Amino acid sequence: MSFIVRQISRTADGREIIRPRTFDQPELSIGRNTGCDIHLPDLAVTLNHATIRQTGPSRAEIVAVAGLPFDVDGRSTERADLDAQRGANIRIGAHVIAVSRDAEADAIVLTVERVGAVSDASEVIDEDRAFSLGSALPGKRVMAWSFIGLVLAVFLAWPLWSFYTNSQAADPTGPRPIAFHADEMWSTGKLSQAHAQLENDCKACHVQPGVAVRDSSCVACHDTLHDHADPARLAAARFEPGAGGKAQLAFKSAFNVPEGRCVDCHTEHEGATAMPVTEQKFCSDCHADLKARLTDTAILNASDFGTDHPQFRPAVRTSAMPPVVQRLSLDARPIEDNGLKFPHNVHLSTTNGVARMAQTMQVEFGFGKSLACADCHVPDPSGTRFRPITMEQNCQMCHSLAFDKIEGTVRTLRHGDPKQVVADLRAFYRSTGPVQPINLGGNARRRPGDFAAQATSARFSFASATRYGRADPAIRATFSEGGVCFECHKVVAPSQSGTGTFGIVPVKLPDRYMRKGWFDHAAHQTETCVSCHAAPTSASAGDLLLPKIESCRTCHGGETAHKEVKSSCAMCHDFHRDDAAPLMVRDSRERGKRVDNGRALKAIRRQDG
Amino acid sequence: MAARGVQQLKQVTSQHEGFLRHAGFRWLKIALTVSLLAIVIYAFDDVRPRPNGGSAYGYFLGTVGLLLILWLTMLGVRKRAMTRGRWSLKSWTSAHVYLGLALIVIGTLHTGFQFGWNVHTLAYVLMMLVILSGIYGITAYAALPRALSNNRGETTQTQMLDNLRMIDRQLHDAAQPLDHRHAEMVRMSLDDDPFGGGAWARLTGRYPRCGTRRAQAAVRAETGPNPAIGDDPLEKIDVLLERKEANLARMRQHLRLKALLEVWLYVHVPLTFALIAALFAHVFAVFFYWG
Repeated sequence: MSFIVRQISRTADGREIIRPRTFDQPELSIGRNTGCDIHLPDLAVTLNHATIRQTGPSRAEIVAVAGLPFDVDGRSTERADLDAQRGANIRIGAHVIAVSRDAEADAIVLTVERVGAVSDASEVIDEDRAFSLGSALPGKRVMAWSFIGLVLAVFLAWPLWSFYTNSQAADPTGPRPIAFHADEMWSTGKLSQAHAQLENDCKACHVQPGVAVRDSSCVACHDTLHDHADPARLAAARFEPGAGGKAQLAFKSAFNVPEGRCVDCHTEHEGATAMPVTEQKFCSDCHADLKARLTDTAILNASDFGTDHPQFRPAVRTSAMPPVVQRLSLDARPIEDNGLKFPHNVHLSTTNGVARMAQTMQVEFGFGKSLACADCHVPDPSGTRFRPITMEQNCQMCHSLAFDKIEGTVRTLRHGDPKQVVADLRAFYRSTGPVQPINLGGNARRRPGDFAAQATSARFSFASATRYGRADPAIRATFSEGGVCFECHKVVAPSQSGTGTFGIVPVKLPDRYMRKGWFDHAAHQTETCVSCHAAPTSASAGDLLLPKIESCRTCHGGETAHKEVKSSCAMCHDFHRDDAAPLMVRDSRERGKRVDNGRALKAIRRQDG
Repeated sequence: MAARGVQQLKQVTSQHEGFLRHAGFRWLKIALTVSLLAIVIYAFDDVRPRPNGGSAYGYFLGTVGLLLILWLTMLGVRKRAMTRGRWSLKSWTSAHVYLGLALIVIGTLHTGFQFGWNVHTLAYVLMMLVILSGIYGITAYAALPRALSNNRGETTQTQMLDNLRMIDRQLHDAAQPLDHRHAEMVRMSLDDDPFGGGAWARLTGRYPRCGTRRAQAAVRAETGPNPAIGDDPLEKIDVLLERKEANLARMRQHLRLKALLEVWLYVHVPLTFALIAALFAHVFAVFFYWG
């Protein structure tokens, strides 16, 4: 009945020192206390930790004393049976007690060795690594691969997946559901306001992967836009690019980007603003010397409003009858023939009868001390141009067509209908001549006994010859010089043979002279009418009261001019010309640059007196 | 002999030129010229309606930037072979630093100052983070070694650790007669990993759950009310813990300075690869949804 306790310790260079000790007693105490049989200098061990008792030749039992457990073959327990024949490992704190049997000595051998270091700091470590930050962080390589995986998954795979699921949708060409789609992360910037609803539908424009946006995508919605010109002529007129431009074109064709697409001018993903206005150079590239390439064109060269733009060429009606309309340069001093006789100077005078008459009508019609432009020329609802001048609205309050009054009701001649005028005048004089007797049968064969009819015929002839009415002179007077019609209109007299009746040359006042460009009166409310239109000195309706380009240039210059108003081509001209205002004008209206029409007009009226 | 000695000394001093001053700031001058040229061309390049990466010059800057980034990354490979001469590693490093800084200009001009929540701006932000971490790295390399050396005094890392181990052993021995409860207090200090606490503790130097401090607090709570008669083993423990804490403080400052010196690489290197991945996605996206 004995134990052999072998204490193993190590020298500084790692050599083992074994101190065997034999106990001839059935029970051994284990603890930190120096009095214990097996002394474990270990703070994790209590002063008296456990006792080990021999229960058979090769059997023993270990029991905790202080109620703190120990490990036997890796299992935490407070009591265990040990078979020295099979062997066992007891771990208490940082010490291991290996149990075995020495058959020769017939003793249970307990080999005690310290396996743990005194402290955490005392453990053997890779010092360089421990002192480096690397021991506290995941490796750079691990982090690098993780980031690569993360970025590619979120910013490449996910958007691609979103693209292909959209392609597989039931209706791939239809609008995409409104939601976040991962390929939006590829968008380089917000779309313009006009295209905001396409923001999450990349495929609306980018139809095929790797294929640059084609015009067909634009035309899918913009189906009413027409080409700038015949594509063949457009191609012929295109300018020859410089070296840089050629290099760009070469790059573009190498990357499968065709030339002259809509998006060349209408750039997108530039932010949620109005679509940018086309720059002057996009026009001037071709139009600066268009005639050199397109020799048969009627369009004159232009490259800059301030320095290189032809004189205005309004569409002028040079003959009212037969009607002839020509585009003529204002430099040629064209004379208009709109069929009307109208001296502006007489009407705008502040001292003549017209002014006096206007004063008498101040209350009823709102005139000032004399007539002003705005008394006749009333802006249309857009403010761009003016409502048509009509006899009823603008002339009749002075130029009355009244000719009779019956019980307080004034009868007027019917304006615009000469036949009716003639008929009404005749009716007024009740002078339609003698009524043909019913028995005057025309060219019937004369028979004996027709005496009475002969007498009737003779009397009728006499009456017709002598009793003509007073209507005819009145009609003639109306239509002739000094007459109410002749005063304003060109009269077509009846033919010499006396057949037919008076007619009036039709009046045609153009609502727009410059149909190739755009002029917005509303935008010029800061100016007075007469600063552009020399109406007060015009004595003839033939005077074309349009200002020349020089007049515009006092304020307007080209895109880069040092003028009050920098005016690129797009201010007056549209690439896709239609009857609407150019894009630039529409844009500026949207931004609220336009002043209130009504108020400004009142101001002008006040100014004019 | 003496003359040769002086000559040798001269050579030695000339060899002490760092990568920043390399070859009379050659790469700084090159980088400045490139940046200035890029800015001047940008100023005169009339891109309508506004500058963007999709213009001709934009594509050019983007290509240059991409190639530059890939070349800068190659320093990681190049640094593993130290050579001398015109294409020496020092020259490479000098070029890496200054051309990397020029990338701020090239990359920013490539964006045309258009930013958004998209993969393109992600690539830009990653690039800037990589460059900023690089700038931090250079300043850290310039400033911290002196602080590190001041803190260390004459001791080496190994000595620091050995000191700590010695105190631990003394603590361990002094605690032998203690009962279990008091022994547990000492173990709080012994079992505390001086390298523990994680990256944040390393960078800030703050260890709120420091075992030694907790052990000392516990010991002082125990000895506080008793008169100091000199035979209480806990009093010796208290003194030892005090010494350990002083040692720990110096070592932790050392760890902190080292961490501050090294941390930039843990941003610079992984983010470089994140950047390259983002650049791939950026270029892929551009060609996929080809404008």
